[in-house]
Amino acid sequence: MITIFPDILILLFPFVMLSLKLFLKVSLKTQENFAVGYFLVVFVTLNFILLGQNHFYLSNWKIDSFGIFMREIFVLSSLLAISLSHNYFNSSVSLKPKLLNFSEFSASVGFAAFGGIVVVSANDLLTLFIGLELATIPMYALVAWNKRDSEGTEAAIKFILTGSVATAFELFGFSYLYGFSGFITFPEITNAVATAQVSPLLWISLLFIISGIGFKMTLFPFHLWAPDIYEGAPTPVTAILSVTSKAVAITFLTVLVLGPLHSVQKEISPFLALLAGATLFVGNLGALSQSKLRRFMAFSSISQAGYILIALLGNTPNAKYSIVYYLFLYTFSNYLAFFIFSVVGKNQAETFSALRGLSEKNKFLAISLLIALMSLAGIPPLAGFFGKLQIFTTAAENGHFFLILFAVLNNVLALYYYIQVLKSAWIDKPEKEIALSIPTKQKIIILILTLSVLLLGFLPFLSNNLSIAFL
Amino acid sequence: MNNLISHSYLILLLPLLSFIINGLFLCFRHRKMAAILSTSLSFLGAVFATIISVNFFISGAKPILAFNYEFLPFTGTLVATIGCLLDSLSAMMILTVSLISFAVHIYSIGYMESDQASGRFFALLSLFVFSMLGLVIAPNIFQTFIFWELVGVSSYLLIGFWYDRPSAVSASKQAFILTRFADSFFLLGIILLSYITKSFVFSDINALRLENFAGQMISLGIIEIPTSDALIFSTLLIFIGGWGKSAMFPLHIWLPNAMEGPTPVSSIIHSATMVVAGVYLVARLFPLFAISGNVLEIVMIVGAFTMVFAAVIACTQKDIKRILAYSTLSQLGYMMLALGSARVADSSIHILGYSAATFHIFTHAFFKCMLFLIAGALIHQVHSNDLNAMGGLRKKMPWTYAASLIACLAIAGIPPFSGFYSKDEILISAYQAGHPIIFACALFTSFLTAFYMFRLFFLAFHGKMRSIPKHPVHESLLMTLPILLLTIPTLFSGFLFKGIFHNFSPEVPLSLAKNLPSATFIPPLAITFSVLGILLSFLFYASKKSNPAKALDSDNRNAFYKIIYHKFYFDEIYYAFVRQFILGGLASFARFFEEKIFGTLVTFATTLIQKMGVLVRKAHAGSLPFYIAIMIIGLLFWYFASNLPLQGA
Repeated sequence: MITIFPDILILLFPFVMLSLKLFLKVSLKTQENFAVGYFLVVFVTLNFILLGQNHFYLSNWKIDSFGIFMREIFVLSSLLAISLSHNYFNSSVSLKPKLLNFSEFSASVGFAAFGGIVVVSANDLLTLFIGLELATIPMYALVAWNKRDSEGTEAAIKFILTGSVATAFELFGFSYLYGFSGFITFPEITNAVATAQVSPLLWISLLFIISGIGFKMTLFPFHLWAPDIYEGAPTPVTAILSVTSKAVAITFLTVLVLGPLHSVQKEISPFLALLAGATLFVGNLGALSQSKLRRFMAFSSISQAGYILIALLGNTPNAKYSIVYYLFLYTFSNYLAFFIFSVVGKNQAETFSALRGLSEKNKFLAISLLIALMSLAGIPPLAGFFGKLQIFTTAAENGHFFLILFAVLNNVLALYYYIQVLKSAWIDKPEKEIALSIPTKQKIIILILTLSVLLLGFLPFLSNNLSIAFL
Repeated sequence: MNNLISHSYLILLLPLLSFIINGLFLCFRHRKMAAILSTSLSFLGAVFATIISVNFFISGAKPILAFNYEFLPFTGTLVATIGCLLDSLSAMMILTVSLISFAVHIYSIGYMESDQASGRFFALLSLFVFSMLGLVIAPNIFQTFIFWELVGVSSYLLIGFWYDRPSAVSASKQAFILTRFADSFFLLGIILLSYITKSFVFSDINALRLENFAGQMISLGIIEIPTSDALIFSTLLIFIGGWGKSAMFPLHIWLPNAMEGPTPVSSIIHSATMVVAGVYLVARLFPLFAISGNVLEIVMIVGAFTMVFAAVIACTQKDIKRILAYSTLSQLGYMMLALGSARVADSSIHILGYSAATFHIFTHAFFKCMLFLIAGALIHQVHSNDLNAMGGLRKKMPWTYAASLIACLAIAGIPPFSGFYSKDEILISAYQAGHPIIFACALFTSFLTAFYMFRLFFLAFHGKMRSIPKHPVHESLLMTLPILLLTIPTLFSGFLFKGIFHNFSPEVPLSLAKNLPSATFIPPLAITFSVLGILLSFLFYASKKSNPAKALDSDNRNAFYKIIYHKFYFDEIYYAFVRQFILGGLASFARFFEEKIFGTLVTFATTLIQKMGVLVRKAHAGSLPFYIAIMIIGLLFWYFASNLPLQGA
């Protein structure tokens, strides 16, 4: 029963953090170190759980390899987000007031991670829905964390209002699915879907469910909220939104599409393909002419969501394999970019012009940025390339060649705007000199992330682990 | 000792190491170090190569695949590998390449002493050797192609080594473009061949038989042709690759112009690397060529024509490196001819042609390398390539003089020097396989060879000095030593290795020729022709009555001589063709297309994308009601656009 241990740890985390503040009154520094150490321990523990192709249930709680890997991603994302937030709690960053209430902040991050874990472990619609909401509601709070920043508050209001519409879609879809099958547990729904797939009820419910999750995963046209919210939220929250939130959403889709809906995957494939194509195209178009870094990252992550969705068109082992692989790389690359942006935006707004002259001020950061963005753009031999390659091979198995072609062409657009960022960092001359300082801790994390992005492409370490588990 | 053979792939690492260390670290500031490192690694390589090949031949010359790493599986059977195949042919080539490379390395220390960029030179030289070694040990045609191109690139870099000289730059470009032109056919051939056979591996390719494809058709996209025809066609395409690399007529013009590189480079290009790659390719795929209809006949005719053609031009040239270059062309023609002549009219195979060709690669490498080193030594003294500036150097450079006598006798085919044995076998093979005209051409060329080589020899070393050198003439140790070292194989490689090469026989899936005519009259006849050539040359250029100044005059000559002197105007023809047809025609059309049509399209596409980007950006203006409305509209949109069977069955 060691496998359930990390889940319990994550569930306990928010309460421990709150107790630390309420009863023990420890300092901010201790709280931070504790939170990072806690997630690190959980992450390491998770790495020791090797299930291979087995899976088992604890009552209604499903644990399998895919679940373990997704847990690793959620924990990793939380760990990095909490490290990233260090600066924001200790000083004013990016011309905004500094954040307060670290213990509550990290508790919310922990709740969101637990929400993700619930989603991936769900074996019925109710658990699935609770998990999704558990992952979403802390996000609303996190976006508005900087109460003294009106932009953040505005973003949170937009987020919660659009989010409620999406939740309504979701619940409506679930109700139809229940109405169609008569059950909320997955095995029964699987049977019902496999035997009576002609009913329009099923398709209506799927349309609503996918549209609802489309909001969380920023699929076209439910992505409109993303740029505003990414821009308004504090940078660490933006990073969580772009990684954890997206990972939860794709997990949700994977659990459904490769689970109960597996027998109709062929029928929903065209819809998913259209969604993926439209999303990555719109994301790329939007990113073309941005001047603010977080808004830019919003569009970039919209198009990345389109890429990840392509993997769902493949068959079971490979699809899961490539989703996990891609999410790992995406986590590393994205956080690396956010870490760099936060260092650059320490004393100024996080815009493209803030990056100017970076290559002269700090070669290390400039090279890390180069690696992060080239990986996101999918340039070999960096990790991102292999992630994309894996996704395309998965989709090619079921013959989605036009979509792949379209996605590859879109990569050209993506390369264009990633290079725009790099142009600011490497070629453009700065307008005014603003000093740049990197705290040692940040430097170490940036170094580790850079090496991960660089080496995961070369070394078959991750892919070996994954293929043992899935293939 | 078999252990050593199975680690023979290590031979590749030595020059690679030297290239990387020199290229990255030493070439800018520590050129002395670079020279020492490169030379010592090439010494190790030469020792290692000798040990490997001696062991290989002692232990029975059984082919061994010493190393095979799969790196690119195209399909289940079509897998690109990097490996090391050791058989008689590759063991012989490894030995030749390594020994020649070592001699050239020592020589280069002396020759490049005053050049500031010698670090780069040694790095590139190592790359060149690395590429050639990788080419000869390739167990499959895919690896061959990779290293084939690497050989091309490194020769390009070395010919254009003095990139501040316009002539060197244009020569390097010419060499690269011409060989690349031929390589494109080679690549097509590889694609077609691997499409037919589903394999890159030589052992599979060489086991093919046309009968197995009887009645089969293969679709080449537009047309469908019999598989056996496609196979023959692919063999021909592959041969075109070797055609360009080995500078056979009419793709020969790059080789004489490649003289613009430093002399050690010419020496290694002409002897062991680059040009013999084409002959090597044909030898490596010999069984495939043998079954492929008349392709061997084409090989023979191309070889024979180049042989005579180049020898005729060599008789009139005044630039010593050019003479040697044309002699290389002529000797390569011999090798190609020998390979081609192996096919007897009743489509059986006379294997002597194959062994004679490989034997000639081996012997030719040593004396040709030596001749170029000698030429370099001469040029280093008189600072000119022109025979006009030489003459009477035998007293100043006695060692070089003695060595060049040996080399010239070897290339002229006088026993007991090495060239005699291999050339003799080529003649015998051509005669026995029933190609009398080709045989006569070869005999005539051996007369011409003796004539032009001794013309060079007499004009350079005998007579009076025709110019006063600026510096006192002397022999430098570093440059003379490799020349003297090379006299050893030039003297002995003929009769010592004759036996080994007689056992060189690939497994050809055809019957071997029987009832061959006796050819005992050929060796004396060949010697007679060579001696005649030498005597004629002596009469013209070294006897008391001769007048070297008049002999070297190229202006007051008849039209025939002038045509030959100007190399049949091939440079000019090529120049006009490139100017008029390629630059004026194709290139200007391509430019028009690029600028007007393609450019417009690109501008249109980028503008469109930018406009759409602005549109998308404007949609995210921050209006909450708009966002919520779009979510609902989006749902409706997907209701119609999602392709879900919403209306029921």
